[in-house]
Amino acid sequence: MTPLTPRAEAISAARDILPLAFGVAVYGAAFGLLAAQAAMTELEVGVMGALVFAGSSQIVAVERMIAGAGAAAAIVAGVALNLRLLLITASVRDIYRDRPWWQIALGAHLATDENWALMLAKRGEGAQAGYWYLVGGGLLIGVTWLVATTAGVAFARMIPEPRAIGMDFAFTAAFIAILRSLFRGRADVVPWAVAIGVVALGQGTGLIPPAWTLIAGGLAGTVVAGLTADD
Amino acid sequence: MTEPWIVILYLAAATFAIRLTGVYVGQSLPQQGRIARALNALPGCLIAALVAQSLSTGGPAEWTAATVAAATAIATRSLPLTMAAGIAAVLVARAALG
Repeated sequence: MTPLTPRAEAISAARDILPLAFGVAVYGAAFGLLAAQAAMTELEVGVMGALVFAGSSQIVAVERMIAGAGAAAAIVAGVALNLRLLLITASVRDIYRDRPWWQIALGAHLATDENWALMLAKRGEGAQAGYWYLVGGGLLIGVTWLVATTAGVAFARMIPEPRAIGMDFAFTAAFIAILRSLFRGRADVVPWAVAIGVVALGQGTGLIPPAWTLIAGGLAGTVVAGLTADD
Repeated sequence: MTEPWIVILYLAAATFAIRLTGVYVGQSLPQQGRIARALNALPGCLIAALVAQSLSTGGPAEWTAATVAAATAIATRSLPLTMAAGIAAVLVARAALG
């Protein structure tokens, strides 16, 4: 099999990510609705989407502003939610190796849950999916997010709630499909169970704040994988 | 400066710093041995935690839909079909279970 050119790899990613982009569009429109409640303009929403480019943290930060919690609380809530991005870019270190600074900056900025997970799923299936796959998927998600969020502010009154049409479950279902592709066999069972168990325990007992349960679960599973691996 | 602009600029700077820090942490960790093997397991663990987190805030309707989505994923290995089955199942389950 001849290796794909960067362009072909990016285009295949943009094609593969279309179902997820549909989910991003619905959430983008809903975020625009929220931003309109915070009296944000199209310009502010567009700049926020382009520069922050992390949907869930944008939603949380704007919710905090609407609740009157103040700018500092909004920033802290958004940043806490984004700490997982450190694990995301650290976990695909091979794609950034030996690249010029601008490609590292671009590839880091465009890394989101969706295109990162899809890239890994694609690799799990044995396909070529590296730096340009992440960038291609990230660009399509980015354009979708910018169009949907700014349109959401402009046409705030015409947008249905994601939950009313079941779209709040779209990403959960997508990540279940991606987990299926990532499953490598028995070695994954215990680490994944630990990750899920820590999240369930943290959420159930309320001992770990929601922004940290995800990171705690992911790291706990990873540590167990490091301790139990014997190959 | 107004509140939205302050939030946008600080959140953007912090988020980019987090993403870039991850790249450098990844590059500086050992390429072989136990830590490297652990790092290979990180994506699956993080996505499993992500799904667990989202399901822990749901109820029986979401858990039913997750079961349907998992069965579809195992049977078809298809992302769009799994998403469609999950969304359809959650709508039906919420209507049925309230």
